[in-house]
Amino acid sequence: MSAQAAGAVGVSRPQLDQAAAPWRRPSIWAIGGGLAAGIVLPLLLVRIDIGTYLITLLILFFVQAVVAQSWNLIMGYGGIYSFAQVALFAVGGWTSGVLVHSLGWNPFLAILISPLVAVVAALGTGLPTLAFHELARVFAVTGPRFISGGGYGLVTVQTFQFGDAIGDQRTIYLYYLAGLIFAIATFVIWRVIHSPLGVAMTALRDSETYAVSRGINQFRVRLVLFAISAFFTGLAGGYSTHYNGGISTTIFDFPRIIDLLAMIVIGGWGTFGGPILGAGIVIGLNQYLVALGDYQTLILGLALAGIAVFAPQGLWPLIRRLYENYLAPEPLAPAVEVSPAAPRDTTEEL
Amino acid sequence: MSTQFVQAVWGGILFGSVYGLMALGLTLVWGAVRLLNLAHGAIFVVGSYVAFFVVSKLNLPILVALPIGVLAAAAFAYLMHLIFIRPVIGKPGFDNSTLIATVGISIAVSAAAILIFNPEYKVIPPIISGNFTLSDVQITKQGLLVIGTSLALFALVYLFLTYTRRGMAIRAVSQQQEAASLMAIPVVRTYGMVIAISGALAGLAGVLLSPFFFLNPNSGFNPMIQALIVTIFGGLGSVRGALVAGFVLGIFESFVEVYYGVAWAQPGVFLLIILMLIVRPNGLFGIGEVRRL
Repeated sequence: MSAQAAGAVGVSRPQLDQAAAPWRRPSIWAIGGGLAAGIVLPLLLVRIDIGTYLITLLILFFVQAVVAQSWNLIMGYGGIYSFAQVALFAVGGWTSGVLVHSLGWNPFLAILISPLVAVVAALGTGLPTLAFHELARVFAVTGPRFISGGGYGLVTVQTFQFGDAIGDQRTIYLYYLAGLIFAIATFVIWRVIHSPLGVAMTALRDSETYAVSRGINQFRVRLVLFAISAFFTGLAGGYSTHYNGGISTTIFDFPRIIDLLAMIVIGGWGTFGGPILGAGIVIGLNQYLVALGDYQTLILGLALAGIAVFAPQGLWPLIRRLYENYLAPEPLAPAVEVSPAAPRDTTEEL
Repeated sequence: MSTQFVQAVWGGILFGSVYGLMALGLTLVWGAVRLLNLAHGAIFVVGSYVAFFVVSKLNLPILVALPIGVLAAAAFAYLMHLIFIRPVIGKPGFDNSTLIATVGISIAVSAAAILIFNPEYKVIPPIISGNFTLSDVQITKQGLLVIGTSLALFALVYLFLTYTRRGMAIRAVSQQQEAASLMAIPVVRTYGMVIAISGALAGLAGVLLSPFFFLNPNSGFNPMIQALIVTIFGGLGSVRGALVAGFVLGIFESFVEVYYGVAWAQPGVFLLIILMLIVRPNGLFGIGEVRRL
């Protein structure tokens, strides 16, 4: 064998057999339909009374769903417990806020920088852990006033301006921007999950020893995973700073983390659609439950505990099963996504 | 000896024993059950609120309230084991689902505490009041009691694990669950026992520490986070690690606080931990998966 051939073998990447995985190609009609619905929806919603309110809810959904998906990538697929997601969100938000507030940048330009800083922050600490979350919180509260805005955070940051659009028109533009971020994040995370990298990280989660002995570079896979997750979380953070016109230290409050966790668990962690579904459910339910005050937290806590123990796969597998039984044109191939909370019980197969 | 130095040493030893007291329960449960119990702070809160209720509403002395609070915390922990832990023992995904479940329980407990009592700060009287000064530093007798209790409990747990039959059963289960169950050790009951013991430790910590920190529905959270950090620093599942790490971190934090200001205490501790975890990913006394407790 010549040296050239040996070199070619060395750099060859594992190729997935596309024909063996038809379920990895979602139908073009479904994607096109979803995109079209997303584009037309706000134009229809502004015509009804509470339309603007519904659009702002959808914006909230987009932002939260991006963060939940990114967190799920680490926790559900990667099997790594990191509570730093909210801190990364804040890092993104602060980066963008400081660039606009102190240096006078354009918000549209500034939110492109925030994901990069979030990635650097995630990789710089090596492990985004609880320690990182606390560090970011301490920095935000006690950091120099000219950087973080002091104990109250940045309260007057320039918001997005779309020409001279105001009122409903501006809300629709904000919706499109959030929707674009959501679409890109969802697409990239979909691609990552259904790529050799995604298979590698699931393998590492399910059996670290076996995966490593099959030649998966654990360190590299996890680092890439953290970077992707931090990127979109930072982007969502930057968006939300300029959407709200500020970022405060209440972002580190416990309920925020709980909401995100509830989204992932209720929807089904370690599944692609779970966090998106969960974000929709939690945001929708919160509109009703908020009237209950502290009972809301009590219910959410017990629901989290109950679902985690008694229905660990969440709601997404249920919906998937319903789809397969009643709507799917032909039997689907088995799902690649297996919740880490309940992998198949292999004892019965043997 | 300068006042600052005495202040730093006293604060460090006090913090250290407080962290150790909280970390002991966490590390026991992790070592034996492989359960990262994020409801530890909630159990702490349950113990303190029950003691508060006994003292303020039933007008009983704190020495009566202490055992009641400890028992209530143990009972709560055991109840949690019955409802949320036992159904998933031995099933795949045990650690994931119980982790989320304990987070849910701790949320629910703090919400319930707000509903039953109110979010205001409560005061539990100290068991021994009074203090004396040592080179201008006030040393409370309750603080001395906490230090003494913490050290005594470490010794007690160590002796219990090493010499008693049940302690040996716990160690056997933590090392090899299947082999232990073949030796007729009731594994699930042992798990329940460890969780109840850990709950009692958390409750005791709650009643003893509430005079320092005051009591509110979330007051278990910070001690738990500190204890979690101590356990990670000392190596998850290592009793000796919890003791040493508690004092190392406590004294470090106290010295930073006294000499560089309160604002730097937390960041300093976290930086120390990040550095330590880079050098020893399993913690100070962490031994990975092979042997625990």
